[in-house]
Amino acid sequence: MAKTILAVDDSGSLRQMVAFSLKAAGYDVVQAVDGQDGLNKAKEKTVDLVLTDQNMPIMDGLTLIKHLRELGSYQKVPILMLTTESSDEMKAKGKAAGANGWLVKPFDPKRLIEVVQKVIGS
Amino acid sequence: MDMKTLPTTELRSLLAAVSDHGKQHLVEVEADLLQTTYLLSEAIEKLGVSFMAVHEAVTEQQNVIDNLMKVHQFDREETKKLEAFKLKIGDEVNAAVTGLQFQDLTSQLLTRTIKRVNGLKDLLHELGNHSDEIDPEHEHEEIAKFLDDMSHSLHEGSRALSGGLRRSVDQQDMATGDIELF
Repeated sequence: MAKTILAVDDSGSLRQMVAFSLKAAGYDVVQAVDGQDGLNKAKEKTVDLVLTDQNMPIMDGLTLIKHLRELGSYQKVPILMLTTESSDEMKAKGKAAGANGWLVKPFDPKRLIEVVQKVIGS
Repeated sequence: MDMKTLPTTELRSLLAAVSDHGKQHLVEVEADLLQTTYLLSEAIEKLGVSFMAVHEAVTEQQNVIDNLMKVHQFDREETKKLEAFKLKIGDEVNAAVTGLQFQDLTSQLLTRTIKRVNGLKDLLHELGNHSDEIDPEHEHEEIAKFLDDMSHSLHEGSRALSGGLRRSVDQQDMATGDIELF
């Protein structure tokens, strides 16, 4: 059975590219338009990996991670940030919130898949 | 003009002109930025649709070639060429996926710029409003204090505006970003 990845980003074009890359590598993808939508979809079905943006309306990525880590079912699910933010300060905040990795946009599909495979397998 | 009195009328007129002209230009800047945002948004939508359609067609084409290769005997050179094309297409698709992320970056920068323009319009509006309060009947000290307060208020407004507009996009080109696993 294909593993499911929750992709959270307020940019439709970015979500489209993430979903395209992940589906081509054999993963199922659930998309969410902001942190709140991501949290709702994560509660509906526990996914194998969360890939989230940071700067989004309604709820940002760091807040989403904090909420997910409070849920029993998401304490060990890998969460990766995929964001334009690249400062060490933001990365430290991400790590403290419970992120397992930090990817700076724009992403290269090959490298994204390599990281995802490393974190959750094929 | 009696130089022993402050040229308050001229001062008011100058401040009102700075406010009005500044706002007028910023309205134009905002309109251009919104139009750019709209055009980029429509462009990425069309590019996304075309990209998906091209990819789908190329995938179908590849399936046909794969089936033909099972039935017909291709010579070694032709097979090598087809494999090279397949790899080339894969590399170009990856490059396109990276390039197509431009709108996410530019829209964040444009949104920040539009917010700054709106903040500047508010500051200029405040300047115009305050200038109306300058009364030629006031003592010099009162007017000096008023101008000082106005300057302080603008400084605070400008600082608050910058503070609320943290820079979130430092990328200077579309080179792919770093990856760090914790």
